[in-house]
Amino acid sequence: MLMLSLSSMSLATELTMFYPVAVGGPLTKLVDKLVLEFEAENPGISVKAIYSGNYSDTMTKAMTSLKGGNPPHLSVILSTEIFTLIDNDAILAFDDLVTGAEDKQWLDSFYPALMENSRTGGKTWSIPFQRSTIVMYYNKDAFRKAGLDSDKPPATWEEMVEMGKKLVIKDDAGKVTQWGIEIPSTGYPYWMFGALARQNGQVLMNNAGTETYFDNPGVVQALEFWKDLGQKQQIMPEGTIEWGTLRTDFLEQKTAIMWHSTGNLTAVKTNAAFDFGVAMLPAKKERGTPTGGGNFYIFKKTTPEERAAALKFVKWMTQPQRTAQWSIGTGYLGTRADAYETDELKTYVKDFPAAAVARDQLTYATAELSVHENGRVYKILNDAIQAALTNAKTPEEALKDAQKQAERILKRYR
Amino acid sequence: MRFREPGSGNIIETIGAWMLGGVWLLPVVFAFWSAFHPAEFSTSFEMFAPLTVDNFVRAWSYAPFPRYLLNTFVLVTLILAAQFVLCTLAAYGFARFEFFGKNFVFALVLLQLMIMPEVLLVENYRTISNLGLLDTIPAIGLPYMASAFGIFLLRQSFKTIPKELVEAAQVEGVSAVGILWKVYVPLARSTYIAYGLVSVSYHWNNFLWPLVITSSVNSRPLTVGLAIFGAPESGVDWSIITAATVMTMAPLLVAFILFQRQFVQSFMHSGIK
Repeated sequence: MLMLSLSSMSLATELTMFYPVAVGGPLTKLVDKLVLEFEAENPGISVKAIYSGNYSDTMTKAMTSLKGGNPPHLSVILSTEIFTLIDNDAILAFDDLVTGAEDKQWLDSFYPALMENSRTGGKTWSIPFQRSTIVMYYNKDAFRKAGLDSDKPPATWEEMVEMGKKLVIKDDAGKVTQWGIEIPSTGYPYWMFGALARQNGQVLMNNAGTETYFDNPGVVQALEFWKDLGQKQQIMPEGTIEWGTLRTDFLEQKTAIMWHSTGNLTAVKTNAAFDFGVAMLPAKKERGTPTGGGNFYIFKKTTPEERAAALKFVKWMTQPQRTAQWSIGTGYLGTRADAYETDELKTYVKDFPAAAVARDQLTYATAELSVHENGRVYKILNDAIQAALTNAKTPEEALKDAQKQAERILKRYR
Repeated sequence: MRFREPGSGNIIETIGAWMLGGVWLLPVVFAFWSAFHPAEFSTSFEMFAPLTVDNFVRAWSYAPFPRYLLNTFVLVTLILAAQFVLCTLAAYGFARFEFFGKNFVFALVLLQLMIMPEVLLVENYRTISNLGLLDTIPAIGLPYMASAFGIFLLRQSFKTIPKELVEAAQVEGVSAVGILWKVYVPLARSTYIAYGLVSVSYHWNNFLWPLVITSSVNSRPLTVGLAIFGAPESGVDWSIITAATVMTMAPLLVAFILFQRQFVQSFMHSGIK
């Protein structure tokens, strides 16, 4: 407390924050508005939000400026970059920054599932901010047309296949005009795969980020199931499905079900010309999804005043009230239970129950794939998934190869 | 080509040209289609879909495009001017004078051609940071000003200029700089135009380095401004992003269409393909 009051009495502390604009243009205005409010409440601190492209652009910019000796004070970066940032000695653990019982309580106020990617080696390295999970969007009108109950989305893999078959519509020439389901396989295939693996009772890596389990039989089964949706069951287009255009496919009713980030919720809600529902992902052995999205990190190359100011900012941004506003404005998850207790979010969820699905699903959520040298391991797994989906390799071969390659990279971190 | 029968060769060539042209044109056509139609029609083709400029209005309001346009314009002008001066002088030196270590130095210049600028990201950042130029327009341009490609290209084109012309000028008593200005530069005009086009379009489109080195509206070029429309996590709003893309490329496209004949001729003369 003493430090905080001292810093606010001294000259203004200027913070720079890299911010990935990952949800589209208008979001910058929301961030700017929040920053202005913060500055008005805290006259001693000014925050400069620097919009820095997508997540990987932001990471490149942060790493470059770090190596160039000029890192930002804080940044929103993918929660999975934790090991890369630690390996580069870039960030501070929040445990070393917080003081007093109130701060410690704040650290524990987030959903545990969201903290899985923030903690390693007994320390907390980042604070959940714009977080998401994968959910299932389904077209209720299409369900009714196919004679299905529009309030009963598939809850298991078997149901999904069964319903998917009824949802496929072909024209007279036998060409499919509406697919049963689409799971995107470009962009972030490893993320979708994390969900399928989890549903089959598997995880893809250990908590220390030093081991992967790509070739476990249960993991291979998950990839076989994914591939079969297209090739055997014929309820999904064969080959790969574009991440970037999937939402458009769903909105144009080219597919009745899509798996996608909760980050799409607001956009789907605004643009859907039909009645749609949002549901948890189905289960094989259990339900499951990885979490995703970006966290706040505080960088090491900062003065004590700057650290205190940055901490203050992060705390302010993650207050229940703000979290609620943020969630409504973007469709991202409210990162803490008490955000859903605020009047704003309560009213919103009541009028739009879909907004609570991602939260309820957090019970079954697991960490997103995150290991040392994340970028390289992602590439290996993504390539393996695509090789299996396009029939270049069998799922087993592809994952065995991927495991071998990942092993080679991760060995030296053990 | 001489071996082929004129008729059939022409037909094949024409078909080939149209196909390649079509492949090139398709994304541009899509961009225009999607930009001028409401979102529902962005990926489906209907002849009489309603036209709209709403996408442009929205894209325009999301980011300070006039400022970005100005920044990009200042940037490419600055780079091109500096490149012309530096490359001309260097190329003149390599093409016309003998000095100790000339081949070695030239090899060093060629070496630069083989290094991707991305590899130097961190080192360049450090240099710019030490110069205190972070987040300025010159910072974006500096690493590209001594262009190895430009030096190489101009040297080659200077070398083709007949010695007789130079000797004639020497007899008239023209100085070395005078010869460069009055003989070499005018004769290499087409190379300058061709190189200028390549340089302008490269820097108009450059993304990663400007993104890394800039952080405010005051210095960011169009491409970086455009990046805020990419929505990697939630998919892409095609109508807005294409509208913004059309706005971004329009100045270049218009310039190219206006000066198309000169450009094509310059490329033929200078041998850039």
